[in-house]
Amino acid sequence: MTGDITNYVFEAMPHFEGYVYPNEATPQPLWSVLIVLYPYITGLVAGAFIMASLVRVFNVRALEPVYRLSLLTAFAFLLCAPLPLLFHLGHPERCFEVMMTPHLTSPMAIFGFVYAWYLMAVLLLELWFDYRADFVRWSTLTPGLRGVLYRLFTVGVMDVSEPAVKLDHKLGHILSIVGIPSAFLLHGYVGFIFGSVKANPWWGNVLMPIIFIMSAVVSGIALCVFNYMVLSWIRRKTIDMKCLDIMCMFLFYALVMDAAIEALDWIHRVYSAEEGFQVMQYMAREKLFYTLNLGQATFGTAVPLLLLGSLQLLRKYVPELGRRRMYFSSAVLILCGVLAMRWNVVIGGQLFSKSLRGVMSYKMEFAGLEGWFMGAVLLVLPFVILTVFVKLFLSEQLPTSSLPAEGGDGESNNFGRAHGGPIAALPVGSGRD
Amino acid sequence: MSKQVSRRNLLGKIGAALAGVATLPLARTAKAAVQKVLVSTPAPKGYDPTRHKWVMAIDANRCIGCGLCAEACKTENHVPDGPFYRTWIERYVITKPKPGSGASRGETFVDCPNGGMHGFPELPVPKSEIQHSFFVPKLCNLCEHSACVQVCPVGATFDSPDGAVLIDPKYCIGCGFCIQACPYGCRFLNPVTKTAEKCTLCYHRITRGLKPACVEVCPTQARVFGDLKNPVPDDPIQQFYQNNKVQALKPHLGTDPRVFYAGIDKEVR
Amino acid sequence: MPPQIVRLLLLVVGIVTSYSIARYFLTPPSFGQYGWFRGDALVELQAREVVFAGKKACEECHSEEMNKLLKHEHKSLSCEGCHGPGQAHADNPDIKISQLNFSPCIRCHEANPSRPSWHKQIVSKNHYTGSKCTECHVPHSPTEVP
Repeated sequence: MTGDITNYVFEAMPHFEGYVYPNEATPQPLWSVLIVLYPYITGLVAGAFIMASLVRVFNVRALEPVYRLSLLTAFAFLLCAPLPLLFHLGHPERCFEVMMTPHLTSPMAIFGFVYAWYLMAVLLLELWFDYRADFVRWSTLTPGLRGVLYRLFTVGVMDVSEPAVKLDHKLGHILSIVGIPSAFLLHGYVGFIFGSVKANPWWGNVLMPIIFIMSAVVSGIALCVFNYMVLSWIRRKTIDMKCLDIMCMFLFYALVMDAAIEALDWIHRVYSAEEGFQVMQYMAREKLFYTLNLGQATFGTAVPLLLLGSLQLLRKYVPELGRRRMYFSSAVLILCGVLAMRWNVVIGGQLFSKSLRGVMSYKMEFAGLEGWFMGAVLLVLPFVILTVFVKLFLSEQLPTSSLPAEGGDGESNNFGRAHGGPIAALPVGSGRD
Repeated sequence: MSKQVSRRNLLGKIGAALAGVATLPLARTAKAAVQKVLVSTPAPKGYDPTRHKWVMAIDANRCIGCGLCAEACKTENHVPDGPFYRTWIERYVITKPKPGSGASRGETFVDCPNGGMHGFPELPVPKSEIQHSFFVPKLCNLCEHSACVQVCPVGATFDSPDGAVLIDPKYCIGCGFCIQACPYGCRFLNPVTKTAEKCTLCYHRITRGLKPACVEVCPTQARVFGDLKNPVPDDPIQQFYQNNKVQALKPHLGTDPRVFYAGIDKEVR
Repeated sequence: MPPQIVRLLLLVVGIVTSYSIARYFLTPPSFGQYGWFRGDALVELQAREVVFAGKKACEECHSEEMNKLLKHEHKSLSCEGCHGPGQAHADNPDIKISQLNFSPCIRCHEANPSRPSWHKQIVSKNHYTGSKCTECHVPHSPTEVP
């Protein structure tokens, strides 16, 4: 017929009910699994960083054991964050255009700069200031390539005298303070990408960046809980329960705020019932029933609220094993719930027509760039990277320039660095089993 | 002693500056060579985009839903088969209210089979139950403050000086943000070029003095096209504005669409 | 100055410099000519090939048919609406136009309640079934008898 021959194959006519604009009747949504994953991953980054800054900025000493693990988590996930975006582009080879001719009225154009700023000026620098003294030490202790690597990471600044290390602390502290608004910016602009689309009533509202930030904080803390417990389990170390209790307290209160703001969004929509409300209600009921009501609301929010909230009240009555189990299951549920929330926002916004008269159905495929398999790979990849980081930077064999956490014995964990403690001068060769 | 040092310093600085200036032509040639690889097009002159302001208007009173416009557009612009339409025609059927219900009108049915390209099938309701039924051709609304242009991260879609909203297919990265941002659903992602695509007002035709393909083939002059900066005698577009009270689509979104519709009902979105 | 600061400043300078150099080379020429886009894009979009020739092009060679058409009710119709795209034929008359003796009459004239009432419509299954439209109507002058 008319038009060029394409290799675009219709497997089945896309299904829709009511009236949808002809350009919306595609078999797949335009922004699919990859664009669901991107806000999820950057949210985890922002949340893990906020977790770490609780130690530095707000001096929550109890959380020191997870300080370094949180930063490394944030770093591992940040490295993977651009991948879904890159794979999703129609022309990934032109991606540099966003940095070369950024159209500054577009929130998406800000991505390149915010990402570069956050990666280089905030996260990498803070990690460097925290680890530099250790890198200097480790570069002498470890042989071969690994030693060279540590030497490389010192960026040639080998001075570990007390004033130099003090300066490291001070600059790291300043960076943590700068990092909090940067983390909000990193994920807030993602929320703004959706919140600024006035054409789509499911996305375009004022609360969207706030909701994204709050759920990011929640998911990030949950991820830190998860990582801490899994890593302790792998290394057969006892968990610092004080640290875990405090972490989950913050998780609870963050979840309360997140649930409150999402509830506000929902209440406002139902109450004011603007023009698109009927089609959105139909879409949410028919297409998003399981992911919204079960995934996000019940198992992702209500159940963790109950579990964590009951522990806030009744902590002393619950034995340690029980608490650990409740914390772990809450963290996993929250992680799944926040992923469901991203799904509901991104996919939900594309399941109804802008004509406000119809809804679409899409069939998710398994293989292909936007399929389940690619999604699973992108979710697993940061953990693989984190494993490498843990081996390199949280090695049990290498001494950290810190004293063990207060009240702990040789068995307990320390995935963090004691804040402001005196530097132990370790003779060369010690600390290796 | 210090005078000698400062003279040496100064000579050194002048030498460095001269060296810098000497490398400028080298840098420029290098730049040109690199950019030639990136993008190279000839630049024929003759058409000045700042001297025209193209616009289209839709007279829905005159549309007979034959679908010639949608088909001609696909042919003229090599749009791939499938749910990809630069322009399309919607059919609205508004039924009479149920007797005794106290309502002013019944239900509204809207459909658009294959963009209306091959005409429309049988009506979903019998003729006796119809209160109003009409066709509405749709296309890019040529917004004054396009949301699509606002959100493009690289500057691949833009408002041309002569009134069209265009896409640079060599620069578009295919992110799809503009497609999400357009309130009128007039954009799509071309599956072959993997870039965004939309009605260009047949830019390649109007810059040569031809009319857009859809306007050309429309048998009833339901699509009205003209140049607001160069009105001709008996200009159909001026007559359209003069003779019709008009509506724009989704005015509450603030995009300021320049395509006006005459003869549409409140049910049209 | 403390060594960390020196190193970091050097790094910052290096990054900013390489970004500026990259931007100098990788921004396309003509970008910013009329606005935040490649000015050459306008030229490239203008240069695309034309598929429909337009009514004036048909008149150059087929003025007789055109004069007849312009005297009757179908005067506002475009030739290519019925006969198909004609630029290829206009460039090289040896290439036949796609739909020469084609009369897709019911496409426009099939009765449909959505069509405005001033438009002439027939219910084709009740209107002289078995006959072709051209037996009673001349497409270029529809109210004349053939």
